[in-house]
Amino acid sequence: MKNPLIRRIPRELRSDWHKYLVIIIFMVVMIGVISGMYVGHDSMLAAVYGGRETLNLEDGSFELSRAASKELLDDISSGELADLRAYYINKGEKEADEEVSAALEEGLGEEVRSAIADNVRAQCAAFGISDETLIQEQIDSAISESYDDALEQARDSEEFRQASEEAYREAHEKVAELVDEKWAETAERYGLDDEAFVPVPVTIYEHFYKEEAEDADNDGAEDATARVYRSDCVIDMASFNEGRAPETENEIAIDRMHADNVGIRLGDTITLGAKRFEVVGLLSYVNYLTLHRHNTDLMFDAFGFDVAMVTPEAFSALGSRLHYSYAYKYGSAPSDKIEKAAYSDNFLKALITQTLAHDNEIEDYLPEYMRQASNFAVSDIENDSAGASILCYILIGVIAFIFAVTISNTIDKEASVIGTLRASGYSRAELVVHYMSMPLIVTLLGAAIGNALGYTAFKDLAVGLYYNSYSLPACQPVWSNTALVKTTLIPLLLMFFINLFIIIRKLRLSPLRFLRHELERTRKAKARRLPKWSFLRRFRLRILLQNMPNYLILVFGVIFIELMMCFAFGLPDSLDHYAEKAPSMMFAEYQYMLMDSRDADGNAIETAEESAERFCAAELLFEKERSSFREGLGSGGDESVTVYGIEKNSRYITLGSDTENGKIYISSAFANKFNIKPGETISLHAEYENSSYSFTVAGQIDYEGGIAVFMDADSFKSVFEKDADDFSGYFSRREITDIDASAIAAVITTEEILKVTNQLTHSMGGAINVFKYALIVLTAALIYLLAKIIIERNEQPISMTKILGFKNGEIASLYILPTAIVVCLFSLIGFAVGYYLMIRIFHLFMLQMDGYFAFYMSPPSMLLSVLYLLIGYAFVSAVDFVRIRRIPMDVALKNIE
Amino acid sequence: MKESFLEIKDLKKSYGAGAARQEVLRGMNFSVKKGEFCVLLGPSGSGKSTLLNIIGGIDTPDEGFVSINGDKLEEMSERELTMYRRKHLGYVFQMYNLIPNLNVKENIEVGAYLSDKPLKVDEVLSTLGLQEHKYKYPNQLSGGQQQRVSIGRAVVKNPDILLCDEPTGALDYRTSKEILALIEDCNKKYGSTVIMVTHNEAIKYMSDHVIKLRDGVVRNNDINDRKLSAFELEW
Repeated sequence: MKNPLIRRIPRELRSDWHKYLVIIIFMVVMIGVISGMYVGHDSMLAAVYGGRETLNLEDGSFELSRAASKELLDDISSGELADLRAYYINKGEKEADEEVSAALEEGLGEEVRSAIADNVRAQCAAFGISDETLIQEQIDSAISESYDDALEQARDSEEFRQASEEAYREAHEKVAELVDEKWAETAERYGLDDEAFVPVPVTIYEHFYKEEAEDADNDGAEDATARVYRSDCVIDMASFNEGRAPETENEIAIDRMHADNVGIRLGDTITLGAKRFEVVGLLSYVNYLTLHRHNTDLMFDAFGFDVAMVTPEAFSALGSRLHYSYAYKYGSAPSDKIEKAAYSDNFLKALITQTLAHDNEIEDYLPEYMRQASNFAVSDIENDSAGASILCYILIGVIAFIFAVTISNTIDKEASVIGTLRASGYSRAELVVHYMSMPLIVTLLGAAIGNALGYTAFKDLAVGLYYNSYSLPACQPVWSNTALVKTTLIPLLLMFFINLFIIIRKLRLSPLRFLRHELERTRKAKARRLPKWSFLRRFRLRILLQNMPNYLILVFGVIFIELMMCFAFGLPDSLDHYAEKAPSMMFAEYQYMLMDSRDADGNAIETAEESAERFCAAELLFEKERSSFREGLGSGGDESVTVYGIEKNSRYITLGSDTENGKIYISSAFANKFNIKPGETISLHAEYENSSYSFTVAGQIDYEGGIAVFMDADSFKSVFEKDADDFSGYFSRREITDIDASAIAAVITTEEILKVTNQLTHSMGGAINVFKYALIVLTAALIYLLAKIIIERNEQPISMTKILGFKNGEIASLYILPTAIVVCLFSLIGFAVGYYLMIRIFHLFMLQMDGYFAFYMSPPSMLLSVLYLLIGYAFVSAVDFVRIRRIPMDVALKNIE
Repeated sequence: MKESFLEIKDLKKSYGAGAARQEVLRGMNFSVKKGEFCVLLGPSGSGKSTLLNIIGGIDTPDEGFVSINGDKLEEMSERELTMYRRKHLGYVFQMYNLIPNLNVKENIEVGAYLSDKPLKVDEVLSTLGLQEHKYKYPNQLSGGQQQRVSIGRAVVKNPDILLCDEPTGALDYRTSKEILALIEDCNKKYGSTVIMVTHNEAIKYMSDHVIKLRDGVVRNNDINDRKLSAFELEW
């Protein structure tokens, strides 16, 4: 026989449907959104990772100054280093031979001329001619007549042959000497003596492109730069979100994100260079998930940069310069980041030497794993959702708690029934199971509907959010184990354990105590004496005191709501505040990062700009403590730290005096994020090498703009084994105009910092607003449930006061006013607590992200976060008033025991 | 001669401590035979409900013991006590304590579910005259009807002992008689031992065994040879 108590559950659901509806909606929204995020996240990653295979993503690419010969491509493909020594000697000998040959020819000609002149002079002397003009005429005539024959004769002479052999030999010896002299330097520069070098054979694909000015609205003004590829490329291919690949010379497919940003639709006509194209496809190139034009760009630019595909014929017709770009794929794929770095290093050596040996030049080189355009979006997606799921668990925890309190009240109400059931032989476990079933069923229901929505409507929400930011391929929903665990199992477990704890505590009493309604563990010796207030006031105070446990829960709820409000208002405020403060965060108006401190000729790159000051910089990693919760979620990457070597008496950064013996100063953002105090030792390590460095923190520099370490330049050079004249770039107050653009890796200005926050606001802005309003709805739902608990618990006394003749207004003032007072008072206290907690939580949240900015709330946001709660409560009070009016009088009469 | 089924030996129970200490049971001894209809009579505060609760295994004595069929309750663990109540006892209280969102039939099934040898629910409904009300909810029933359901819930278990704590305390004269008749019927029909706590002197005439309590001790322990039916009682 099935336990007949089971039948109570659907009836309970029906009878109190509005309460359960609110709870289920609450859960569906929470679980749905989180599930959608995970499903969207997993589906998107699956599409991206799948695309890497099917669309043949490169392992790296390089660009040469001119088209590579077949021999060069074959040699690069072999992965072997070119014999640079032989190349240099060969080249040197060729040059020397030319010089020697020229010198010999010149010397020989001179000697032949001189011999002819001597001969003519001797003959003139024999004939007694002394007129110098005549003699000179005779000489000129003899030279023009017999110079060539004489030269030929001289060339054939044994003497000349010996002399020239000697000259060539000497020249070749000199070349070998010079190559040997310079070899150590060359070998060190290119790392050619590396014993660990292993050739990395690759397959090379031609991947030429042209960059054309794009005129999106055909108004004659350039709107963006389009990087155009041929449609027949077999590497780094594109998937089509809409439309198709171009098939005729007048057709083009362009990046979907760019099209979206600048308002280009399928069928529109755009101008590239001087040619008009019809847009027939919106695509996502596998190697351009974000539109980073240069890999060194801090932020992508989907407005000003586009990637496009045209037919080979149309490509040939484009007038701009052809970029000889080549993509490569390794013969055997590297297994991890370290191996990728090792492969890349070895390949680069082969590429440099072979290109040099074939007299070509490398314009650009980029291994795929360092390519922002294909990795930025992926790492961002991978790092998402952790924060949202934590919030989901907190909310489900709160719902579980509300459930537990509701059940606790039901248990109080049903004390006699429970006593009777226990006296009749129902075990405590059976009753625990019975009272546990409702929250678990509701959670399951919420999880089921939420997950169903997660795979449908909410998935699109999350995917839409990603599409709003990145040039991602179209994706199909994939089954997400993470979503299932995080949105079903964890909420169920939370609900289970919170309710189990409270219900077991509640049902621990003996059957007799339930029968006698002795539900309090300790009985108060006597009633509290109240001051001599008016009757209604005292009555109200009594209600407040009697409902203290419920008010405590309400207070807890109010604090939680304020915490959520602080989150909803504080997150955009913090971003705005960071953007506002960005200009003052820069320690120099311009920060130029150079590709190398020396130019192609080996000379240091100098500038005439007076305010320019050299600095050294290196990127290292600071190991984060990783919780198991985060494992597998994303890259779980360590914190990237920029280590600066600062000149003595720097005009830009003032270091303390204590910079000896590996002592460093850290940015305040670094110190605050990881709570690092002066005197502590920190360890930093290189990302792709097995080298780590320990530093003692001497103090902190007030710099919120990034996670940075500052040390004096000498210490920097000694720690990182750099030459005394080595440096990484310039700080400057004014723009530096006399350094070649190709020598500059990146320029960091306020605009660049703002670009980051602007992009963040652009990508997250919509979501934050949705989130803010969702939180307001959840807040109203939460306060509705909390206030309902108080009214429900007091149904009988309310009914009794009605019987006694109290008017609805008086009853409302008795039962609603105390709640209103509590809500008003604690909305302020709750805000203070929520604000403080949010600072802590935000800090923990930032620990999981890269970079740092502190939590901030503007005064209007502070006011609004309290006001919204009060407005929400005002509505709930109105509902409560209706609820009080509807409580029938027979409630008090029927249940009297 | 029937053997003792229930035995109460030197039972003592007090509440509170120090000056507030109140001795409710002060050494109580008696036994009840299987199938007997036993009435515990006494004024308020005589300890009869406490005694019933101890017999029912929902309260414990300070001293002495209760044994059922030779098994001492105080030697039982909480789990065993629950099983004892589940398998051997039926409880009827002055208040009906029905589950409000289960109908009449389902409230009776709540008892049947617990038993290894339950009676047929429909048969019990007929015996209690509740057939026509079986789909009604408790708030649609009168007090007497609710008490019938509460008796049905206890009886359907086919318990060895039916414990009734002032089952007619909240009912009028006529309904009280009907309820008493039903308990009498169950005692006869199903052979359950009935132990009924009441302060109504008249009820003793329908019992086999009358135990009068006063100040926590047994004042009288009488066997009634001239039983009347419930409908013959007057008060």
